[in-house]
Amino acid sequence: MALSLREETKANEEAFKKTGCLFGLETLARKEADPGTYEAVWHILSNLCNAAWATGCKVSSSPIAAEGGDALWGLHTSTGEAVCISRGISAHAGLLSDMIKNFIDLGYEENPGFKAGDIFENNDPHYGGIHSPDFDMCMPLFYDGKLIAWASCVSHVSDAGSVTPGSIGFLNPDCYSDGLPISMERVGENNRFYPWYEMRIRSRTRTPDFVMGDARGRLAGCLTIRDRLEEVIEKYGLDFILDASKEYVEDSRRYAVGRVKTQTVPGRIRKSQFKDLAMKGKRVLLAKQDIDCAFNLPMELTINADASVDLSLQGASGTVPFGENISPTALKSGLMMGYSHIVGFDMFNSGPIAAWNIEMPPDGSWANPFPLNYEAASGVAWAPAVTWVSNLYEVFGRLFQMRGFVEEMAAGSGTIMTAEFSGINQTGMYLTGLTLEQASQGSPARGYSDGENSAWCIYTPEADFGNAEISELYYPILFLGRNVSPNSGGYGQFRGGLGHTAVWMVHNTPGLEYQCGDAGMRSKMVANHGMYGAYPVVPDRPAYGHKTNVKELIEAQKPLIHGRGDPESPLIASLIDAELVEDNAIAPFVTPEPLQDFDIIVHPIAGAQAMGDPINRDSASVERDLNEGWTTSRVATDIHGVVTNKPNGAFVVDAAATDAKRAEIREERKARAIPFKDWWLQEREKVQAEENMDPAILTMWSTCMELSPKYGEELRAFWALPEDFTFSG
Amino acid sequence: MAEFDKADIEKLIDGVLPWPATQDMLKSSKDADRFDKYVEIMQARVDFKDPILLPLTPMLFIVSAEGERVVKCRCGHSFGDYRANWKLSSLINVRDDEASISEIYKGREMPDAAWVQIREYICGGCGAQLEVEAVPRGCPPDFDFLPDLDTFYGEWLGRPLPDTVRFEDKTLDKIAEWSS
Ligand SMILES: [Zn+2]
Repeated sequence: MALSLREETKANEEAFKKTGCLFGLETLARKEADPGTYEAVWHILSNLCNAAWATGCKVSSSPIAAEGGDALWGLHTSTGEAVCISRGISAHAGLLSDMIKNFIDLGYEENPGFKAGDIFENNDPHYGGIHSPDFDMCMPLFYDGKLIAWASCVSHVSDAGSVTPGSIGFLNPDCYSDGLPISMERVGENNRFYPWYEMRIRSRTRTPDFVMGDARGRLAGCLTIRDRLEEVIEKYGLDFILDASKEYVEDSRRYAVGRVKTQTVPGRIRKSQFKDLAMKGKRVLLAKQDIDCAFNLPMELTINADASVDLSLQGASGTVPFGENISPTALKSGLMMGYSHIVGFDMFNSGPIAAWNIEMPPDGSWANPFPLNYEAASGVAWAPAVTWVSNLYEVFGRLFQMRGFVEEMAAGSGTIMTAEFSGINQTGMYLTGLTLEQASQGSPARGYSDGENSAWCIYTPEADFGNAEISELYYPILFLGRNVSPNSGGYGQFRGGLGHTAVWMVHNTPGLEYQCGDAGMRSKMVANHGMYGAYPVVPDRPAYGHKTNVKELIEAQKPLIHGRGDPESPLIASLIDAELVEDNAIAPFVTPEPLQDFDIIVHPIAGAQAMGDPINRDSASVERDLNEGWTTSRVATDIHGVVTNKPNGAFVVDAAATDAKRAEIREERKARAIPFKDWWLQEREKVQAEENMDPAILTMWSTCMELSPKYGEELRAFWALPEDFTFSG
Repeated sequence: MAEFDKADIEKLIDGVLPWPATQDMLKSSKDADRFDKYVEIMQARVDFKDPILLPLTPMLFIVSAEGERVVKCRCGHSFGDYRANWKLSSLINVRDDEASISEIYKGREMPDAAWVQIREYICGGCGAQLEVEAVPRGCPPDFDFLPDLDTFYGEWLGRPLPDTVRFEDKTLDKIAEWSS
């Protein structure tokens, strides 16, 4: 009698506990016997997933998938472990794996049963989903009547019927407003969706043609995996494929553990991280949302003697009445993605994370909301998660440095501020959806060079902001500019890659809502710290003008706005007349009323974190940045200590004056700074008096101290505060 | 197992290794002697003779000085026992109002001082800016890394250090001294 999948899962878990190897695989027999075939089949399986991605994105037809590739396909073992995945949004591999495991754990094998052609889906955070627009799908794959694998897919739909249009539901006040739930459902049989699945989507999403297009795309990709896998099995034999699939996962675990042991150092790492969500006085949905919120996103990581990794979120702050709370399952998936970028990237699958011990985040925190707040919204649950995962890059960057692997080092990522439009476009069609701008941020500084401009994205290796013309085709906008944003990569010896600024003119619409969304942005705070003495990246501050004179400017052939301009004198204020000009908006927000033709939006995308003391920056790099327009004289001189002349219209470094300036900066720093203890003595008084602390910060501290008593104890001890001290928030 | 010239590793650190050679380093299996080579390189670049046990950052090193394991800056300035956060022995400059923040960030690039303060940790010896933190008031400084040096040398590198110390965080001991 064959084991049920649930029994097999249990046996796997016991074997792992006993041997320390996934599936109890103490030897990789297939790999050892025939390493060539083993490697070749890995690439075949990877390509099969990529073929699913290419097929599925094209079938989908929504701009998010077809132009942005914002989807992912995967191949899993019969018990759900991801074996390999396609290109695309790799943040989801863990979610898909956990969803399959969840179907097995919930007894679906008995009722309703698994059979060929079944289609299962989930997007419900209460059952491990991330947020409603991310539709997770899986299909059991059979060979000779036996369930041998799963195909999976996620795509990010343009609208999942949440209370406001679009897919970045930061405004959602509770789970009831999070949109259409698919709660661990069989949504089709015999390779077809049930008619009532489509009826529900038509009834409850704003862009049903695109949402159904995405569903068909997911299905097409999964069927591609099914058909191709059959061919591979026929060529290499079922036993080989089943054995090798498990070995790839265990192999990947070994690779990650090996990297930790040979490229890091055992010990305890702590990295704090914070995020703002300032909504007070803005357009919100419920009275309880007229507040500013702050998140504490701490990371404590311990590397043990056996190279296993413990991870704690002690100190995570409480839930927020916005769509920015995340289930622990989804958070783990985000972590797995970050880890795959940094450590376990040789064969990306479920293996590397098997060596992690993740402590359950505090009940009632943004990272584990439901035990205390079952109604918590998850409309854009990625927002705190990717900000938190950003720490992982810096943490491992620091560890690699200690072992001398400078080529592997990275600083933290940039922030993610999205632009989403909804309204009638130039063809008379209602549309809502994301532009793809945020999928091309600057990349983090490396241990040996600056990051790259507009070439990276934390949630997808598919960093691509898409063609401007395609965005113009879908949305009633015209690009007036898409420029590198100067000074957007922090200030350090090596700077982060720079972000860019899109300038849009609203065009050919009776009215368009611009939602400047939060998928991990910061607007009140700077992003990250500065690694090794660099200064952090600037906050996200978009701009827009409503009811403008741009039509008149065009008719008179006067200059238009194509960029951002100086931070102290923005071009939108000097070049454009408008009834409403918001030249330094605190994000996120939805415009108070729909924008109209000839309105202007200036939407910046972040650069990434820098590393190293800014006065150690190579002066030739500063000179180049000045001549490219990527930095400014003030920053060059005051922050990098680089003095330049402009003899023939181009900046040239004055080496002697630069040396003198840098020596002067060192002396100034020493003269101005005070011993830490002196500062501590003053600062603890200010902490106790809550001096110049925003109410959002006070609430953040009081919730995290309450939810994580040990963290609270340590915070009090650090400032030598009374045992019963709490913040008033 | 790959092996790389010390000269190339130095060029990498200085950001002048040509891209093809850098890519080669990225793609090759890692060299087992990298740690030792890196420490040798750093040892030649610092202004002190005490042997480096671990490069904590490109500027700060845990060294063995007169039988103690202490954190030192490249310039030789000491920050004491590595098990207490070195930041407590540093100079600090904090920007927590508009005037001081605007020396770094202008106009729309300025964060809000009621939400975040910029802490600059400065070496009292050479004036290097060792770390910058951007945190709300009330946040203790990050103790970025407390290494388990004895496990590292004994179990991972297979050459135990002559003495052992307890793996513990001694930061709060220092605070207790200050507050008593
Ligand atoms: Zn120094």
